[in-house]
Amino acid sequence: MTVADESDETLMMRYGRGDAAAFDLLYRRHEMRIWRYLERNVGNRATADELMQEVWFAVARDAPRYEPSARFTTWLFTIAHNRMIDSVRMSRRQTSLETLGYETESVVEQLTSDPSAGPLAAAVARDQAGALVRAFEKLPGEQREAFLLQVEGDLSVEEIAAITDSSFETTKSRLRYARTKLRELLKEHL
Amino acid sequence: MNEVPPGQDVPDDADDLYRRASALDESRPSELVRRRVLGHAAQLAAERAAQNAANRTWRRPAIFGTLAAAALAGLLITPRFFTPSVPPGLPPTAALQPPAALPPAAPLPPATVSRNQEAPAPAASEQRANRIPEPAAEFAAKDSPAKMQNMAAARSRAAASDASQAGALAQPMAPLAAAGRSSDPAAELRRAAEIGDVPEMQTLLDKQPLIEARDENGRTALMLAALHGQSRAVDVLLAHGADPNAADGQGTTPLQAAVAGNQQAIVAALRRAGAR
Repeated sequence: MTVADESDETLMMRYGRGDAAAFDLLYRRHEMRIWRYLERNVGNRATADELMQEVWFAVARDAPRYEPSARFTTWLFTIAHNRMIDSVRMSRRQTSLETLGYETESVVEQLTSDPSAGPLAAAVARDQAGALVRAFEKLPGEQREAFLLQVEGDLSVEEIAAITDSSFETTKSRLRYARTKLRELLKEHL
Repeated sequence: MNEVPPGQDVPDDADDLYRRASALDESRPSELVRRRVLGHAAQLAAERAAQNAANRTWRRPAIFGTLAAAALAGLLITPRFFTPSVPPGLPPTAALQPPAALPPAAPLPPATVSRNQEAPAPAASEQRANRIPEPAAEFAAKDSPAKMQNMAAARSRAAASDASQAGALAQPMAPLAAAGRSSDPAAELRRAAEIGDVPEMQTLLDKQPLIEARDENGRTALMLAALHGQSRAVDVLLAHGADPNAADGQGTTPLQAAVAGNQQAIVAALRRAGAR
């Protein structure tokens, strides 16, 4: 078995012992999944870049303490979720906006004042991809995040419920509503 | 409304639409971020590799030192097991001469006697003294009653000698044994929770340690039990009022840890206790 075939958990253990190549491989495997999760949640490329760096710095720093009993992707997306929440809190303090019910949702509301001309939309070149951005902007934050955790993180409903501090049934409903709405919105363009 | 199964193992058409649209999205993280992340990770890896190498060079003499100490202890203790049990033809006093390296048997101070009475070593020596008769008794039965009396006296003195030597050994061993245990009941509780040692946990909980005390990673005893899948330990801690939502330094809660480890019983117990 080559290094490329090794599990994420094994690579993390190797990196924790000082194998830099193991981290490179992990980063390549999950770079785009984490990027899409962050960018589509915050709707802002600069913020997503900052968060991306923070998430992977945290992974590198905490590697020696990583417990292989937890699945690597669950751990990775939990870090990403927590960093995003921290970012919202900081952003809220800086902008002094009124408290919103759900923090992840508030990121988009704070950072994209005009959805149709948001920075994420500008970064997407093609119409179909633009449709995806617009569809996501129409989803409530909780539904968007639950959906992204499942399709990008490949997480179960229970894992998503635990990460987002929600009940199993609520999470299941969010996923159902997100899919229904995305299906309606994307079918018109694809 | 279209029902989606919770496991989402079967590809949904919404997922398919999302992936098709996603493939057309050309946005990427910036190259600068990638360089910074990989550079930082490589730097940390180099530091860890250097630290591991330093630990290895330190460990080697430590291992040899430990082995040497064990060998020395073996040399001191082994002769006691080969003390002759009064071979026939020898005067009893000759058989009972202690090894040169050991101090001669002397009257024991009361404290040492008391410790010997509690320690298992004297009991073992008594057992050994009692074991002697089986082969020796047949042999002795063929000898004169005077020899029999000498052997009985020799056995009782051998037992006393063993007791005094065991007492001398027990004195330096006691602080070593105590040093192996943490003096912090909260730390001991975390350790017991981690390995699922429920009887030890019950003992420690009777001392009322700080049940929410955390280790260097901010993890409580409950978090450690959840991480290591110790279902009974989780039950005990929750029954003693442990906070089911006490997150660690990374913000991970016991429930998240249990879900990640697919520990269904722990997930259920935490939820019943109000974990979110």
